[in-house]
Amino acid sequence: MVSVYLKNDNIKVNVKTGKSMREIARKSGASMEFGCRVGDCSTCIAKIVHGADLLNPINDKELLAIKAIGSKEENLRLMCQCIVEADEGEIEISYFF
Amino acid sequence: MPALTAKLSPSVDFIGAFDPKIRTFDIIMKTANGSSYNSYVVRGSAGVAIMDTVKKEFSKDFFLRLESLCKYEEILYIVLHHLEPDHSGALEELMLRAPQAKLIISGRAVLMLKGIIKSDVAFETANTGKIISLGDKTIEFLSTPFLHWPDTMSSYLHEEKILFSGDVFGSHYYDERLFDDEVGDFSYAFKYYYDHIMRPFKQYVLQALNLYSRFDIVTIAPLHGPILRTNPQYYIDKYEEWSSEAKFRKHTFGKKMLSVFYMSSYDNTHTMAKKIMEGADSIEGIVASMYDLASLDESNMVDLLEESDAVIIGSPTINGDAVKPAWDLLACMAYLESQGKIGAAFGSYGWTGEAPEMLHDRMRWLKFRLPVKPIKIKLIPTKEELEDCFAFGVEVAEITMGKMVEMEI
Repeated sequence: MVSVYLKNDNIKVNVKTGKSMREIARKSGASMEFGCRVGDCSTCIAKIVHGADLLNPINDKELLAIKAIGSKEENLRLMCQCIVEADEGEIEISYFF
Repeated sequence: MPALTAKLSPSVDFIGAFDPKIRTFDIIMKTANGSSYNSYVVRGSAGVAIMDTVKKEFSKDFFLRLESLCKYEEILYIVLHHLEPDHSGALEELMLRAPQAKLIISGRAVLMLKGIIKSDVAFETANTGKIISLGDKTIEFLSTPFLHWPDTMSSYLHEEKILFSGDVFGSHYYDERLFDDEVGDFSYAFKYYYDHIMRPFKQYVLQALNLYSRFDIVTIAPLHGPILRTNPQYYIDKYEEWSSEAKFRKHTFGKKMLSVFYMSSYDNTHTMAKKIMEGADSIEGIVASMYDLASLDESNMVDLLEESDAVIIGSPTINGDAVKPAWDLLACMAYLESQGKIGAAFGSYGWTGEAPEMLHDRMRWLKFRLPVKPIKIKLIPTKEELEDCFAFGVEVAEITMGKMVEMEI
């Protein structure tokens, strides 16, 4: 199990590998905001406080969207593009919207 | 031929368009005497910048005004602070007439630009700190997102201390006298505009005001309505006041507000509401209250929703649906930010009982936090079921007070 802590909502969700952040957000009742859900709009941008290496690698759409925002923060991801890939560990996520 | 251009300062003129006939703006806003689409030209020793355009139907006015003040070949920059069609309507034509001009938009506007102009056009993006020069004039950009679209930005003309604020500080108020000291009383329009356009984005308003505070502002040039030159700080202070956490209970007593909204046809949902409220109110730090939706006006709904840290909605199920006042309540969230609010739903039912699930689902789309499943009871609640209602209220209240939720999915 991987423990995903959604900081803004104070929710800790224990999930098996392969779960998408969209499903985790929806089923946990978290207030994480999604827009287009396909990696274009950047609404679901979030900071992976720790455990970034437990997720799937960042893709080109995310890199483009993050560049457009112009933030210097590290470990930013689009939640609609993220999947938990590890079997165990802890992830902490802080989202902006 | 529109005669009117108006001088804001030695090098800045208004070249926007007036729309006195519009009565409803963006579907939701009433505009009792029309509005304006403000656009400006800034002249420097090396050339000019055009700040925003107008709604497409008003392009002719815009171009006539522009042509009375500058030649197309003098245009060095076209700045779009916000790409909504009422400001980008003449962009494509302007770019055709001034092909040498550099288009400047915010980073977040890139995909919107592609959605508006369906062909590739050259542009530069601007974030906070980017500066362009018109020779002896300097324009600095400020990233002010979500006021009221993701793409919105502002800019500041250093030499003449003018803030081009985008939709911030706008009013839907038509008056060709244009300046705040010459037009009629637009205070209602200024507040109405804030309530309908900016209120859902208060935290972003405060961030923008913080950026603006670095500058000495003599004139605010918004995208709609009067130009604010008499006492810009007055309008800035109003935005700050309206956007600050004006929560009476929080300020005065340090409590969190939990509101139970309900409607009841045979008193069963009402009975549940009372128990839920009692449970919630038993938690230290929570002030729980209940409101019958049958007697709540929309303006009161908006205020109560805004004040509430947690919103619990109860509805019976009638013909497979929640009752209309419950949907009306949630429709009021269009005027507010829901980020961080806790939501929950409940209700008594006779046949099918879909209402609580439906309300729960709607609140999820409205970005409420929904840490507990909805609760529904068939017809008259038993003593045990009322205990469940009490526990439901306790759980929502504890989470509102910061209890961590842990689950497995």
